[in-house]
Amino acid sequence: MTIWWLAVILVSIVSAGIAFIWLITKLSHLSESSKNPRQQLLDAANTDVEHIFNEEFREELRNRGRLHFEKIIGENAMFLQQDLRLTTSQLNEYMKQELGSKLREEFTKYEESITDAKQMAIDSIEKTKETIEEQRQMMSQQMSSEVKAEKQRLIGRFEQNMADIINHYVLEAIGKQIDLSDQLEYILSELEANKQSIAEDITHGA
Amino acid sequence: MAHEQLVLPLRVISLGDAMRLKRELEVLNDYAHQTELRQSGAEPKTLPKPSSALNDLAQENSLNLLKTEDREAAIAFLGNLVESAPQVHISFASEPSSIFMAKITSWFRDRIDPILLINVGLEPSIAAGFTLRTLNHYHDFSLRQQFSDQRELLLNGIRESQATEPL
Repeated sequence: MTIWWLAVILVSIVSAGIAFIWLITKLSHLSESSKNPRQQLLDAANTDVEHIFNEEFREELRNRGRLHFEKIIGENAMFLQQDLRLTTSQLNEYMKQELGSKLREEFTKYEESITDAKQMAIDSIEKTKETIEEQRQMMSQQMSSEVKAEKQRLIGRFEQNMADIINHYVLEAIGKQIDLSDQLEYILSELEANKQSIAEDITHGA
Repeated sequence: MAHEQLVLPLRVISLGDAMRLKRELEVLNDYAHQTELRQSGAEPKTLPKPSSALNDLAQENSLNLLKTEDREAAIAFLGNLVESAPQVHISFASEPSSIFMAKITSWFRDRIDPILLINVGLEPSIAAGFTLRTLNHYHDFSLRQQFSDQRELLLNGIRESQATEPL
């Protein structure tokens, strides 16, 4: 019993739905037919445009535009590349010139510095040589005077002590060969020659 | 016999020799005195053998050492000699021989004073010659002194050689 009631309810619901859809569709047809002609023309033009500018035509246009764009891009790229190359070469040239001039300036300064340093070194060496030469001459003179003074001193000492030196030499050379017996005559003659003086010394001393 | 008449033998050269001789004589005198005492006042017949110097003294002065007065005269002479004899000091470069010293002593005693005493010294640095020192003076007869005296002569000789052949 319930199932039969449920089926009846469902059938009635479905029927009501179908009727509602039909009504809606009917109403939409009625509304479209009621639009103005201008709108209808626009709709017709749109429909024609859709027919003319269809998907293939649009694809064709897109392809042509793409090719044209690529061409323009290629040309601009080429110009840009040329400009870039030119700029690069100019930049290289400029850099070469600038660097060359800078390097030349620096090298010139460096050479000048080296020349100055060399000159200073040469001057310093010359001054050192002059100083050394002066010192050498001074030391030479000093040495010469000292040697001269030492020589004079030695000669003076020799002259002062010459008797002792010769006596020492004679003593070393022939001292052992001098016999007192050989000197007796000399000793007696000396005593005889100074007899008076010796006698006076002894007499007065005694 | 007065001691002034005694002759000093050449063997007695220095003060030391004289003192030794005096001591020897004193010992001899003591010995003789003791012998006299032991023999009741009789003079001794013999004496110990004297030294060469004492023997010379006795011989040169004709002294009889057995006699007390001769011994005492000799002792007195030597005592006086030690006390007051003139002395000289003579130095040689080497040790002189006794013969050499006898000649030197003989000269001094003949020419200067018969009782002169000579003290002998050694001075090797004089090389040759001698030095003589009395009480007040010093006489240098050495080769060293001769060189010193002739210093100018040597200097002139050296300067002349330097002038002809510079150093």
